[in-house]
Amino acid sequence: MTVDRQDLPAPPIGDLLAAELRELAPVATRRPWRDVAAVTAAAATSIAVLVVTLAVRRDLDALPRAWLIGYGGAWLAGFALLAWLSLVPRAGAVVPRWLPAAVGAGLAAVGFVAAGLTFDRTTALSLVYAPTTANHLLRAAACAGLGTITALVPMLLGARLLRGAVPVGGAAIGSGLGAACGAAGGFLLHLHCPITHPIHLGVGHGGAVLICALLGALLVPVLARIR
Amino acid sequence: MSGGGPADESGTDAELMRRYVGGEAEAFRQLYARLAPRLLGYLLRMVRDRAAAEDLVQVTFLKVHRARAAYVRGADPGPWIFAIAHRSFLDDVRGKRRARVGLADDGEPPEVSADITGATDGVRAAADDQRELTQATLAALQTLPPMQREAVALTKLGGKSIAEAAEIAGTTPGAMKVRVHRGYEALRKALGAAAATEEST
Repeated sequence: MTVDRQDLPAPPIGDLLAAELRELAPVATRRPWRDVAAVTAAAATSIAVLVVTLAVRRDLDALPRAWLIGYGGAWLAGFALLAWLSLVPRAGAVVPRWLPAAVGAGLAAVGFVAAGLTFDRTTALSLVYAPTTANHLLRAAACAGLGTITALVPMLLGARLLRGAVPVGGAAIGSGLGAACGAAGGFLLHLHCPITHPIHLGVGHGGAVLICALLGALLVPVLARIR
Repeated sequence: MSGGGPADESGTDAELMRRYVGGEAEAFRQLYARLAPRLLGYLLRMVRDRAAAEDLVQVTFLKVHRARAAYVRGADPGPWIFAIAHRSFLDDVRGKRRARVGLADDGEPPEVSADITGATDGVRAAADDQRELTQATLAALQTLPPMQREAVALTKLGGKSIAEAAEIAGTTPGAMKVRVHRGYEALRKALGAAAATEEST
């Protein structure tokens, strides 16, 4: 069963479009790697401002160096990978890779929660609290909130830079961008929060990635849509 | 559609887009002349109504114009522009809250006007039964759910690959393959049922 195709004659250009064309001016087009650099700069600024404002964790010097660098490196690698997937399309395309971005966001959210629950290290200088459910929830909510605040500016900037570039897959790309910025928030918590309980690291710090991924999935389709 | 679209004396779609974002209105007109017929064909199969499809072509190009800063130099603009058309169609459907199930108020499949059959001159000159089959196919197409209709329109009628159609519709190639298969099977059944009804009468 086949139906032959025929290219129909182009409809005439409408008045509104013709009017806009009369005022056509050159525009600077999107440069994805520059967008990655801008979002990275925004994330670094957010982290720096909050670290300076809130102070570095008190047990920083006492923590095992390998754990500190390895865990911090994982946060930064998560940010870099997800920002690349969410903002840089494959060669020859305009729309970023929405499916890998969404899959990456899911894996990052699960991975950072699992890593927090698994790879905890503590010292005599770390902050220890009574491990009740209420305490866990309260502390986790505070840290997840701080991680989300850290992520907000780079996430909004990334969404703005994507305006017009994601007619489809906006929520998927938004989840990737959100998770990337959530990983930046996780890095801030890694530098600031002296709590080392595995539930806190998993739910509070890893949870920031999940919250930001969901936030990105909601915000990016709205902020990046073509007006 | 890779490689920046078709090339002729005016250059590839990517080259036209580069000149257009550089401020050349003539490059836009050439790009429009090249892409608007393909978009119109795609949208006609989705909305059934020529005026509505032409409106959506205008809306699509207006959006392309307003979002041209989002273009990445060197990229093929085709899939992006088709994806904008796809989004415009969805917004139109949601905005007007119209159920496009393909049946007229009297419950009959809609008549398909000759200019949306996609038939070439050769086909028009061919036997009546071939024309009837084409019309029956397109009428049956309108009875499919929108996503299956779009999948069939993009691939079987629009000549796009599964990967290209998936990119335009914002879905995975696997999901697109399933939609095409289901749509194709539904079309086959619909045409088979129509033929059986015709034979019994």
